[in-house]
Amino acid sequence: MSAPTLASHRWEFDAIGTSWRVDSAAPLGDEDRAAVSSVVDRFDREWSRFRPDSLVRQIAAGGSVAAPPDAAAMLGLYDALDRATGGSVNPLVGDALARRGYDATYSLLDRGAEPAPGDWRDLIQAADGALTLRGPATIDVGAVGKGRLVDLVLAALRSRVMGWLVVDASGDLAVDGVAQRVALEHPYDARRAIGVWTLAAGALCASATNRRAWGAGLHHVLDARTGQPVREYAATWAVAADAMTADAVATALFFEGGPRFAAAREASWVRMRTDGSVEWSPHCEAELFV
Amino acid sequence: MIRTTAVPRSLRVTAATASVAGLALLAGCAGQADAEQSAPGAAPETTTSPETDGSTGSTGSAGAAGGAYADGSYTAEGTYQTPEGPETITVTLTIASDAVTDVEVTGEPTRRESRQYQAEFIGGIDDLVVGKSLDEVEVDRVAGSSLTSGGFNAAVEEIRTDAAA
Repeated sequence: MSAPTLASHRWEFDAIGTSWRVDSAAPLGDEDRAAVSSVVDRFDREWSRFRPDSLVRQIAAGGSVAAPPDAAAMLGLYDALDRATGGSVNPLVGDALARRGYDATYSLLDRGAEPAPGDWRDLIQAADGALTLRGPATIDVGAVGKGRLVDLVLAALRSRVMGWLVVDASGDLAVDGVAQRVALEHPYDARRAIGVWTLAAGALCASATNRRAWGAGLHHVLDARTGQPVREYAATWAVAADAMTADAVATALFFEGGPRFAAAREASWVRMRTDGSVEWSPHCEAELFV
Repeated sequence: MIRTTAVPRSLRVTAATASVAGLALLAGCAGQADAEQSAPGAAPETTTSPETDGSTGSTGSAGAAGGAYADGSYTAEGTYQTPEGPETITVTLTIASDAVTDVEVTGEPTRRESRQYQAEFIGGIDDLVVGKSLDEVEVDRVAGSSLTSGGFNAAVEEIRTDAAA
């Protein structure tokens, strides 16, 4: 998997619980990196349910804070995801995830399935500059958040440096001005790829159930209606104009209605079922090893 | 309902049999070459191979994965929403010694709306994709589940080094 040789500069860092890699034609200076760190830190302080001082933790018992700038865009996308998947994707799935053991301390202790509040639209309000929770609940923007942050990081760098850029947050990536060949990692064997997707612009987001997994078939993709981990699909990949959309589509593809949602957002996709078979979208440009 | 019972054979060879499942899942998907190749009646004949293939596990890909397939029955239930309610299909694979010994498919998408959904929103399907080794493909990066630490590339490198030693 040696990369084509291309004069480039690379910067790697860890953020929001995963590894990031920025490749660029131009070298990134200290101020460029500081600008990225600022964007990442702000997003983490606002949306992380893993840090006690975050905004979403501050209002987890109910309450109101000044709305973060990404609240409207992300909750709006959750509204569409909820409708497309019949309620399987829900921004208040945080407590359901925590109950299965994916909590702020990574206890990984399963305390049973619990649906997320189906009436989340009545519980969350993002209006008049405030983000309000009308009762106890934990916001989890896992379906769109990492993609959103990839977009924010790319935008921060785009305004500062010349030449091509790739922002890769370990599975969710956005490219600008350069072609990238991306292996689609086999969810059952990380040494293998089920295909290669060549991307010259836009974003590719991947989601799979094999790494953030623990105990008795538990992993981080829950059906919000039941609190049970999804069992039908093992991995999804989506390509869209921006990473937040690709991230949302990659999540939707674990559920009924995902392909229709992808079509509505003009996204292409590939997904592997847990039986090892692979489906792909109409007009999919991935090269699949089938 | 489709039921196929096969003698033991290698996973790779039996992939075509498993595509009966793919066919049932995507019966309405127009222009899908694999579905056309593996009509239910044809699949068993075209995939017959000596029993010894299955017991020796000599077909590389699956075997090289290091026992990726434990013996037992694997059941996957596929459900998708239609305007008239959910459509469900169940596929059960029985695997022994890295060979598929039985495939059972229950349920078919018979409603016209389902066929339309599949044709409109799903481009194709292929069964039991084994893929290629990352050593064989030249790529800039890999996309799968998010790493939980930065150790992935190091692990891949270690595996490749070990394999080459």
